[in-house]
Amino acid sequence: MSKLIELKGITKSFDGECVLNSINLYIRDGEFITLLGPSGCGKTTTLRIIGGFETADEGELYFDGHEISDVPPHKRQVNTVFQKYALFPHLNVYENIAFPLRMKKFSEEDIKTRVTDMLKMVALVGFENKSVSTLSGGQQQRVAIARALVSHPKVLLLDEPLGALDLKLRKDMQNELKTIQKAIGITFIYVTHDQEEALSMSDTVVVMADGEIQQIGTPTDIYNEPKNAFVADFIGESNIVDGIMLEDKRVRMSGHTFTCVDGGYAKNEPVDVVVRPEDVDVVKPEDGMLTGIVTNVTFKGVHYEIIVDIGGFKWMIQSTDYVAPDEKIGLFIEPDAIHIMKKSKYSGMFGDYSSFSDEIDQLSDADTAEEF
Amino acid sequence: MKKKSIMHSIAAAPHIFWAALFIILPLIIVIFYAFTDAEGNFSFENILGLSEYGNIFLLSIELSVIATFICLLVGYPLAYIIAKADAKKQKFFIMLLMLPMWTNLLIRTYSIMAILDDGGFLNNLLNTELHIIGTKGAVIFGMVYDFLPYMVLPIYTCISKIPKNMWEAASDLGCSPIRVLTKVIFPLSMSGVISGVTMVFVPSISTFYISQKLGGGTFELIGDTIERQFVSSALNTGAAISFVMMILILISISVMNKFSDPDDGGIII
Amino acid sequence: MKHFNRVYLILIFGILYIPIITLIFFSFNSANSTAVFEGFSLRWYRELFSSPDTFEALRNTLILAISAATLSTVIGTAAAAGIYRMKSKLAKNAINSVTNIPMMNPDIVTGMSMMLFFVALVGILSIDYESIGFTAMLIAHTTFCLPYVILSVLPRVEDLGKSLTEAALDLGCTPIQSFFKVELPNILPGVISGFTMAFTLSLDDFVISYFVGSSNFQTLPLLIYSMTKKKVTPDMYALSTLIIITVFIFLVVSNVKSGKARRKESHK
Repeated sequence: MSKLIELKGITKSFDGECVLNSINLYIRDGEFITLLGPSGCGKTTTLRIIGGFETADEGELYFDGHEISDVPPHKRQVNTVFQKYALFPHLNVYENIAFPLRMKKFSEEDIKTRVTDMLKMVALVGFENKSVSTLSGGQQQRVAIARALVSHPKVLLLDEPLGALDLKLRKDMQNELKTIQKAIGITFIYVTHDQEEALSMSDTVVVMADGEIQQIGTPTDIYNEPKNAFVADFIGESNIVDGIMLEDKRVRMSGHTFTCVDGGYAKNEPVDVVVRPEDVDVVKPEDGMLTGIVTNVTFKGVHYEIIVDIGGFKWMIQSTDYVAPDEKIGLFIEPDAIHIMKKSKYSGMFGDYSSFSDEIDQLSDADTAEEF
Repeated sequence: MKKKSIMHSIAAAPHIFWAALFIILPLIIVIFYAFTDAEGNFSFENILGLSEYGNIFLLSIELSVIATFICLLVGYPLAYIIAKADAKKQKFFIMLLMLPMWTNLLIRTYSIMAILDDGGFLNNLLNTELHIIGTKGAVIFGMVYDFLPYMVLPIYTCISKIPKNMWEAASDLGCSPIRVLTKVIFPLSMSGVISGVTMVFVPSISTFYISQKLGGGTFELIGDTIERQFVSSALNTGAAISFVMMILILISISVMNKFSDPDDGGIII
Repeated sequence: MKHFNRVYLILIFGILYIPIITLIFFSFNSANSTAVFEGFSLRWYRELFSSPDTFEALRNTLILAISAATLSTVIGTAAAAGIYRMKSKLAKNAINSVTNIPMMNPDIVTGMSMMLFFVALVGILSIDYESIGFTAMLIAHTTFCLPYVILSVLPRVEDLGKSLTEAALDLGCTPIQSFFKVELPNILPGVISGFTMAFTLSLDDFVISYFVGSSNFQTLPLLIYSMTKKKVTPDMYALSTLIIITVFIFLVVSNVKSGKARRKESHK
């Protein structure tokens, strides 16, 4: 697969505030790439620069090898599915989808064939003459996708397209989008703050924070080999503990020396150690590598979520076995469950569950939906 | 994005050009005339000479303040009653209110004069010789009659936008109906009151037609004075009076806006 | 309380309408009096229609109102689109404040300032004031209509937001195409109500026209004013009656229409 889009040193500020700080990224033809990050990380701005709605202050943007920073949106071979769909309320479903073809002066016959094909693809045959305002959220979403795809763009940009849908519909649409992308084989650039969505749909995930790219990789890479504390915390749940790399494959944390699989660090280099909650086994105190007191247990359906106080640091552990609060338990961690990361500016900011609460998590989710 | 904002400024450009040429420039010319004599030399004489019109200013302010106050007193209950009526009736009443508003001011003023005149319809009907035209009362009545809808409409709009549960919440929390009105509804409708007051006060203080017809020529208001200067081509004095009146009104509007919601400011019909 | 409300409404609306009804009543008087009714006749209407002044004033008024409304709607709509997208808050506020001046200022001051402007203009160009009679009126009327047009279009533009325009550009529209194919159809209700408002304001204006106008361009309000300067005869009543009836029909029709539209919307 060749490079279709390339961003080189893209920098952008709004009102003196730096939103994107020297972004370097290339996107291959036909891949499903997701820009993932919290509100204000610059993912939407990146998308809007590719779409042509914003111009970067610095840096270059290549499409198929040509610099396109000065090309206006209507001349770019990319189309966008907007956050709130941006369907034209004065046009019906058919005319909305036909709109880009009319702009390109297609014949009435071609328009009909293409629109009909699109309606079939998004399963909206029979809705041609409906007013878009009478459609449900999911149906509007399909119209927006059909409208963006009907003129056969080389790239489809999707800006939090499922943000307005409820959970069940969101899952269905995720599958559907993936199917559509596979069927037509063009590049999808997808923006979301939902890590689950990103992991389940993408070929490549780009994790962004504070206007910078934190990590680029396949979903498995990102989950299993997070580069820093931010990525580890943002993707899934993680306990992030300060550690010292004694030597290759030996790390000391929480007063115990563990065997791990990572190496290549300086002797006694301070590092961040990530342990995923599901990778910790609960054992009897005397069999544990670490021991701690259970402070909180929540039933989550598939498993229990257990918060354990180990020397003042709170760990989260997922276990199918129940333990009682205030009980003393031991923890056992396999070497390959321990992931070592270099210290970064995010060290110490994440990965401690002492102030953990579901509510706060949900609140910050609601925030991100507001992002523009 | 820079390019786009230039393009869109072009959309606003004709308007900016128009506003500069036909709003700002004429006002500059008014100021220029106000501070020059007939030969075009700089002079304070016009402004200083206004002291002889002091009584006229005071009378205009007196009459327009009284008229505005009566409009508020009469108009607020009317707006309140209409806003509390059911939807169909509301529409009907508002239409009844709009019809006189869209009928030309000259016609409305003249129709009052025809009734109240010395040999007019009322005196004829009652067979009396009441002398009404030419009194302050007649002029105030004319102002109230002509501008009452401008008071009622903004207040009505404001009250009808107050969510219904506000009433319920207030009475639930122990307000009597009177206290609901004074403690909740009146403060919430304040921006409508401010708009209404402005929309009645400004045309009242500057009118010349009402005082001409209903004042019977017995007294003069600022508007009449400006008009007289205009007719007799004493443009410098006319400009000076206009200038002072404009300042006067700008000050009173900004003082009144201090009392209203800053987000809601300005006059909105 | 119910009784009080009813009495109050009847009282106020009674006072509002009695003068107007009296005026209409006396327009059908057969005698030349506005105080003593002697019998029903259409005499004053006949007289009104036989006067060429009436028709000229009517024609002038309509031409002026249509041109001023069109001009202010075109300039105002473009301005609303432009103002909405301006980045600088300061520039936005400055433009809005200046635009609103004719709305805040008393008509007499606006009239005076425009008159002085045109006096200065004809002085510089050394031409006759009469020769720019219509142009002066058109400029004055457009100027005081502009704030009302912008006031009714701008909220629509703001509601529309930027995403539809971006979608249109994205789907292959040039900026101009996107304005006509996407933005305009969606802000049309605001544009139409701005136009209607401008049209009625222009139709109704007396004070500014009085100051700016010249003797060779008479409008209906100016004609009424000149009629009331002399001893009033019922033909002025007849003219007023016709105007009131027109306004009444216009109001009823627009109310019924908007009522229907609203009902349609609520059915969706």
